[in-house]
Amino acid sequence: MDGATMIEWTAYALQGILILLAIAIVLHKNNGTIIILIASFSLVTASLYIINNAPDVAIAEIAIGSAIIPLIYVISISRQREFIVLDRAMDEFIFIGDELAGIGYVLLHRLAEYYHLELNITNDPGLCSLDEAMDRMLCEKTNVDLIVAKDEETGKYVFKGKRSSTLMKKLQQMTQPFDNIEVILFKDSEFGG
Amino acid sequence: MVKQALLLVLLGGIFAVFYLVTEDLSELYNNFGKTYFQLNGLLETGSRNLVTAIYLDYRLFDSFFEAGILLVAVAGIIWISKHDLNEKNAQFMLDRYKTPDLFITFSRIVYPMMLVFGFYVIINGHLSPGGGFQGGAIVATAILILYYIDHDRETNIKQIVTIEKLVFFLIVLVASLSLLTRGEFFTNFMPLDSSVASKAIYLVILNILIGFKVALGLWTIFTAFLREGR
Repeated sequence: MDGATMIEWTAYALQGILILLAIAIVLHKNNGTIIILIASFSLVTASLYIINNAPDVAIAEIAIGSAIIPLIYVISISRQREFIVLDRAMDEFIFIGDELAGIGYVLLHRLAEYYHLELNITNDPGLCSLDEAMDRMLCEKTNVDLIVAKDEETGKYVFKGKRSSTLMKKLQQMTQPFDNIEVILFKDSEFGG
Repeated sequence: MVKQALLLVLLGGIFAVFYLVTEDLSELYNNFGKTYFQLNGLLETGSRNLVTAIYLDYRLFDSFFEAGILLVAVAGIIWISKHDLNEKNAQFMLDRYKTPDLFITFSRIVYPMMLVFGFYVIINGHLSPGGGFQGGAIVATAILILYYIDHDRETNIKQIVTIEKLVFFLIVLVASLSLLTRGEFFTNFMPLDSSVASKAIYLVILNILIGFKVALGLWTIFTAFLREGR
């Protein structure tokens, strides 16, 4: 087999792999695997470009298709998967000693399990020291999904989040039987504003 | 049922028209352009890479609008991403606990190499495969890796977008310089009979400008996605 036919058959094989990869991307359910498949799809496409004497296009395909696009997908998906809670109450509602065992934690854990999210509870001093009037801005401008605070006068625990989130509606449903928990929803700002 | 039948008829019609149009395609296949670029490309433009010769000299008007597409795409993404331009980057510190140490250490090794390779592809665009767009994309990927190394990094998006627009204007200015020297828009500003090496000056300048523009544009897109952490 001489060189030319060998390259021809390699091109056929790569095209076959391309079809298989496309079907796998459509059928797969796991997001992480799909990202890897998309990146390898771009790599195979780039090698096809090189076989067809187009190295310039191949460089662009590798840079965009197998580096930038998968990284953007990774960012978007990893952002979606966690539920970030800012714990401002700092008492036995969530932390008992050093362990996550309070009644608030059980509630939030149940919510996160229901939506297959990773619960990320933080009591970062930089964010907690902000004024309470900034809560709405904090929900809007940063990636904090929920703020847990304690009302000093009534002793009630307050959950603050965005009205547009379906998670907050579910949380409202779940907390209805509890008398000492109150849910406050912030109205979203205008689109593009 | 009727809708589907109509759709099938429509598709069949489109296919028939396509087939009729492509019947005398053999007249379109010729070597005039190819042989012309092979014989005169290097002498006329000073570029050994004929792709660069086409997109920076013969068809610079097209590349000008291609650069404009990225500008419009960035504007659209910023508009959709619902954030104020004046606001600093949202904190990434919440991610510090999730990124593996191995990845961070490896990124520190790879980052300078990627940056140097990106600049090499940009500057060598008229000699080897590559050019402004490809090199700019590589540089932008390197900058994205920087975010994994340094979590508390803050980016002023407004500044980046302003610089990107300025660079776009610079591209148009450099491309229009040929009006003074050659008497026509959008071509090399060096005279037609100058040497290949001096013509390459223009190609390097334009490749660097396009590379910067693409890198800044993709950087803006990343930051818009990174801030959209909800």
